[in-house]
Amino acid sequence: MNRQERIRNFCIIAHIDHGKSTLADRLIEKTGTLAKRDMQNQLLDSMELEREKGITIKLTPTRMIYNFEGEEYELNLIDTPGHVDFTYEVSRSLAACEGAILIVDASQGVEAQTLANAYLAIDNNLEILPVLNKIDLPSARPDEVKKEIEDVVGIPAMHAPCISAKDGTNIDQVLQMIVKEFPCPKGDENGKLKCLIFDSYYDNFKGAICLIRVFDGQVKAGDKIKMMQTGKTYDVTEVGIFVPNPKITEVLRAGDVGYVACSIKTIQDVAVGDTITNALDPTNQALPGYKKVQPVVFCGIFPVDGAKYQELKDALEKLKLNDASLQFEPEVSQALGFGFRCGFLGLLHLEIISERIEREFNLDIITTAPGVTLKVKKTNGEVLNLSNPSQLPNPVEIEYIEEPVVKASIFAPPQYVGAIMELCQDKRGVYKGLVYLDRQRVRVDYTLPLSEIIYDFFDSLKSRTKGYASFDYEIAGYEKSDLVKVDILLNGEKCDALSIIVHKDKAYSRGRNLTEKLKKIIPRQLFEVPIQAAIGNKIIARETVSAMRKDVLAKCYGGDITRKRKLLEKQKEGKKRMRKIGSVEIPSEAFMSILKLDDEDK
Amino acid sequence: MNSIYVHIPFCEQKCCYCAFASFDNQFDQVQKYFQALQKEIESSTFEFRIGSIFIGGGTPSAVSPSIIEKILKTIREKFQVEKDAEITIEANPNSLDEKKLKEYFSMGINRLSVGVQSLENKQLKMLGRLHNKIQVFKALRVAKKVGFKNINCDLLLGLENQSVFQLKKAIKALKKYATHFSCYMLQVEDGTPVKSMVEGGRIKLPDDDKVVKIYHRLVVFLKRNGFEQYEISNFAKKGFECLHNLNYWGRGNYLGFGLGAHSFVGESRWANASNFFDYFAGKKAFSEKLNDKQVAEEIVMLGLRCCLGFRLSQLKKYGVILEKNPYFNEFLEKGVLKAENGVIKINPDYYGVSNLVIEELIDF
Repeated sequence: MNRQERIRNFCIIAHIDHGKSTLADRLIEKTGTLAKRDMQNQLLDSMELEREKGITIKLTPTRMIYNFEGEEYELNLIDTPGHVDFTYEVSRSLAACEGAILIVDASQGVEAQTLANAYLAIDNNLEILPVLNKIDLPSARPDEVKKEIEDVVGIPAMHAPCISAKDGTNIDQVLQMIVKEFPCPKGDENGKLKCLIFDSYYDNFKGAICLIRVFDGQVKAGDKIKMMQTGKTYDVTEVGIFVPNPKITEVLRAGDVGYVACSIKTIQDVAVGDTITNALDPTNQALPGYKKVQPVVFCGIFPVDGAKYQELKDALEKLKLNDASLQFEPEVSQALGFGFRCGFLGLLHLEIISERIEREFNLDIITTAPGVTLKVKKTNGEVLNLSNPSQLPNPVEIEYIEEPVVKASIFAPPQYVGAIMELCQDKRGVYKGLVYLDRQRVRVDYTLPLSEIIYDFFDSLKSRTKGYASFDYEIAGYEKSDLVKVDILLNGEKCDALSIIVHKDKAYSRGRNLTEKLKKIIPRQLFEVPIQAAIGNKIIARETVSAMRKDVLAKCYGGDITRKRKLLEKQKEGKKRMRKIGSVEIPSEAFMSILKLDDEDK
Repeated sequence: MNSIYVHIPFCEQKCCYCAFASFDNQFDQVQKYFQALQKEIESSTFEFRIGSIFIGGGTPSAVSPSIIEKILKTIREKFQVEKDAEITIEANPNSLDEKKLKEYFSMGINRLSVGVQSLENKQLKMLGRLHNKIQVFKALRVAKKVGFKNINCDLLLGLENQSVFQLKKAIKALKKYATHFSCYMLQVEDGTPVKSMVEGGRIKLPDDDKVVKIYHRLVVFLKRNGFEQYEISNFAKKGFECLHNLNYWGRGNYLGFGLGAHSFVGESRWANASNFFDYFAGKKAFSEKLNDKQVAEEIVMLGLRCCLGFRLSQLKKYGVILEKNPYFNEFLEKGVLKAENGVIKINPDYYGVSNLVIEELIDF
């Protein structure tokens, strides 16, 4: 048996909550890769945030050794993120594998994400091994679910292992099937070097680290390599594998999964999906599938303390290292000063990044309401691509506006179709069709404006369908739309960071909601603060924060001035969390509050 | 001016809202305390001419006048007390009788600060005060008879079921005796019985907006009755402003003797320990030397609390040019602040929100 025949590269794909990380933990444990005492629950979710949210964002590959029929096999598990926001990252991870374990919850059955990921795996030519998890639950219905997999996904499932990742039931069977079912890599060890970068992360000592799958050839420390997309060349300082912590090895050969470090300082030089080759003996054929990731959701991120602009920039740059899909460019807001306009794959992605900035870099930030990129045709024929509401030209200069739309597929039991359609209509959806997948599942297809689904669509969908519905979407181009910009004026001054772009029919109610909401958030100040919503020069809503009249009339006893001064200094410090717009102080959460408007509609 | 504050940390009964260093259960410490206090005064290294003395507490009237006399004697021996110095003692109506008042008067005390708080017996009871309305007037009548010409009455705002009418009535009745009113807003401090009463729902205090409304109407009413506001909480007939308090706001020197007492000399502030054990050991609660920024902050903060204001030129000495602060100019424009011959004062209408104004100004 040659070396590559003893290697299996695979990933695990699943709907969120179906137990992917737990199975990964069990595999690591069972193969003795880590002693039980070193196991932290859901080891692969290495970020604190991931463990807290129970979702996997970052990919951490692991090499496990498994003995089967007298042979020692090397199993490389490449974990994949499980959220719709990260489809591209998933696709690159899949491209690094030959096989995929498809976990299906034995009681919930096939879900939208299961399907989407399974199709992605099929597209990547992977061998798929279905596994039924949570077999220990009383509600498990393995036979029905097996049939569902065959019917809906269209792959044979009758011999799928029935496991409980939680209890460790039948894990051996999974390991055996990995060896038996998945093909081994078939690269040319002596060919020209071809590695796929499927992820990257930043190490403070070694610089940007590329996580790679070697397809052909070999790479070792001292080699000169070239990134085919960026064209840059580097000297390899170190290669290694993950067990699951990084471990230096001599060489990585065709079929291997591991990392290369080559003191890459500028993080932008590592693009996920790029191909690494030998600079002195390069291949002329890059690996297929590279895509420049396009963010779909945009928002402004500003430091609460204006002086921390540079720190915010560093934080974003560091985050971008692990996250090829994060985009940002400097932005200047009249209200918020210097910051960045950032692009994300979706709202979850946005949330994760802003939370990581606050937690890992200890920076207080203001996030403005997320929006999409609009195409604006001006009357003078010029076409603008806008991702920032404040840059929208005057209404009279606009001929028309186009907004991105998505093709959305919603999967749910038939009794919720009414509720789903109601929600989609409310979100300006255009009905496209209804497909009965089986007796318990329908797929409702809609075209929806992207801007309508980035806020709280998924939450509303879940609440209206008691959590049964799942949802998947893809960007489907641009369509003309009747959009207007609603500005917010505080004390008569326009606050650009609070501007939103909404459909004309919703402008009045959004404007009213927004002013009401801001009235609750903005604390009373020395002078009264009128809050107005306006379209162009026309005021559509107004609220007033009445002037503050109270202060402390407490006794300043026995000359204790120190206490009073400290109190005042503390109050002043508290104010630093506020932003000053003109003469009005606004707490930083106000800028995100626009987001939560829809909750109040209900 | 230089002042002396003497703290008497004893009370017959601690009030329900009180969070100051005072005790109603430590009378066994009295003797030891006054020995320590005498010693503290005697060993002071400062040589000041003293323009005001304030004997506060606690309840100074709860201890024997002979003790007070001894303290004053010690102070007079140690420092040069001006002939016309303002010497104030705090007193509760129930612990004042003719004999005591005569003794106070004859030992040179010329200002009486009476803890009236309210003239509604129900409110007094809620506060844990031991006196009633009748005792208030009895004490004031006798004080006047004995010869006190400068009498302050403390009033509390923000009490349960308190109305402007009640307060106006009280002021009308008290102004026959009082030359000065201190009106404080009831602060619900952590660890006080009032706090647990509020939290337990046993009393319901009016909200801040309502109290402030009452306060503003009171300010107008007091003015109409001849009491000018010269500080956020203080009102006086002309010439009866409390010199001792003004010295605090004007950043004059003061020495504090006794438990938890604060001192300020030059640009240093310190305070004595506020428990007996540490105080007897001569420990300080803290001691700080103000830096330029802190001095400037204080000048603004203290000056704007009262009628004194502050000089712009004074700030410049500490490297602060207030004219550069856009809020300063905005406040002048909007009439929140007034500038007269380089002195910046707050418009009395804005005393109530002076903290907000100060916060903007001290951003340096």
